[in-house]
Amino acid sequence: MMHCTMEDLGALQAGEASVWARRHITTCATCQAELEGLYQRIAQLKALPALRPPRDRWPAVKSALRVQRSRRRRTWGAWTGSLALAATIAAVLLMQPGTQATAHAELSQVKRQSATLEDSLQRYDTDGRVLSGHAAAVVADLEDRISILDGALVQREQGAQDAELVQLWQERVGLMRELMNARATRARYVGL
Amino acid sequence: MTVAFAVPDVLVARAQAGDEAALEALYRAFETPVYNLVRRMLRRPEDAEDVLQETFLEVVRNIKQYRGEGYLWGWIRRIASTKALMRIRRDHVRETESLDDEPGKPGMHIGANLDLERAFERLTETSRAVVWLHDVEGYTHEEIAEQMGKSVSFSKSQLARAHARMRRMLDEGAQA
Repeated sequence: MMHCTMEDLGALQAGEASVWARRHITTCATCQAELEGLYQRIAQLKALPALRPPRDRWPAVKSALRVQRSRRRRTWGAWTGSLALAATIAAVLLMQPGTQATAHAELSQVKRQSATLEDSLQRYDTDGRVLSGHAAAVVADLEDRISILDGALVQREQGAQDAELVQLWQERVGLMRELMNARATRARYVGL
Repeated sequence: MTVAFAVPDVLVARAQAGDEAALEALYRAFETPVYNLVRRMLRRPEDAEDVLQETFLEVVRNIKQYRGEGYLWGWIRRIASTKALMRIRRDHVRETESLDDEPGKPGMHIGANLDLERAFERLTETSRAVVWLHDVEGYTHEEIAEQMGKSVSFSKSQLARAHARMRRMLDEGAQA
């Protein structure tokens, strides 16, 4: 005698069974017992106790959230700082088109590099990858140094010479590259 | 374990405004159901912990996108199950090495006193995921297929095979 397969029983449980299976189950004690066993297994699975996380992961989530917020503020600060800086440089260039032009070109170039790296870092950070403790510490250190540098750039934007600003922006680009490498290495490590 | 959590709207609103205390309150409300869900789907506890963390990173970053349609738990559960399934796909090589083929444990001979929980834990991660999402969380085969990037018939056959395997393991455990 042909009996219900497990797929037939699953379909019976879901109310999607074939005409044959629906008829068969009314007369076959073996399949009735199998269907009852399926119901019991499902009920037992639903009744399993909740498994609790062995460690508190909130501190790690909170740290990542703070880093993200810090970067947003810094990016915004860098953008506004850059705009003010660009306006200042433009004004100076209008008055002194000679030697300032070279420094201005250099400044524009290094700022473009910085913006490109910032965009790349945003892409690496959008999906919330989990860093190991060591990698997170390296990244946090680099981000702190970049934050300090951004503060210095904002303070000097009004009075500093282009040459000094170029030096600061170059330093920022160097740190951004290190940060990029730290994140790229982690991405390769986890195979993403 | 089936859950139907409700959290106050004001708490969600505070979390969406970036209130860190409210975000932590959401974490505390959902850490166990999220961990339980992904731990049932994944074999290794450390993987489940990582997915728990990844899930809440996404929750706190995207809570503003939650529009209040349906339960918050449904939104969070979807993020968690998707991340767990992504991990199963990524670790596909490990997935094929079922404990059923573990050295010293040929076939399904796994001894007496086997209860359903242990039988369930011996399934492959894909089977565990399908069984848990369908039988416990109430996902349809269509929803599971969409999340796994597979066909509906794949989900149905995985579920049937998993139940057949659990039944055999329980029978042999009872006879041993």
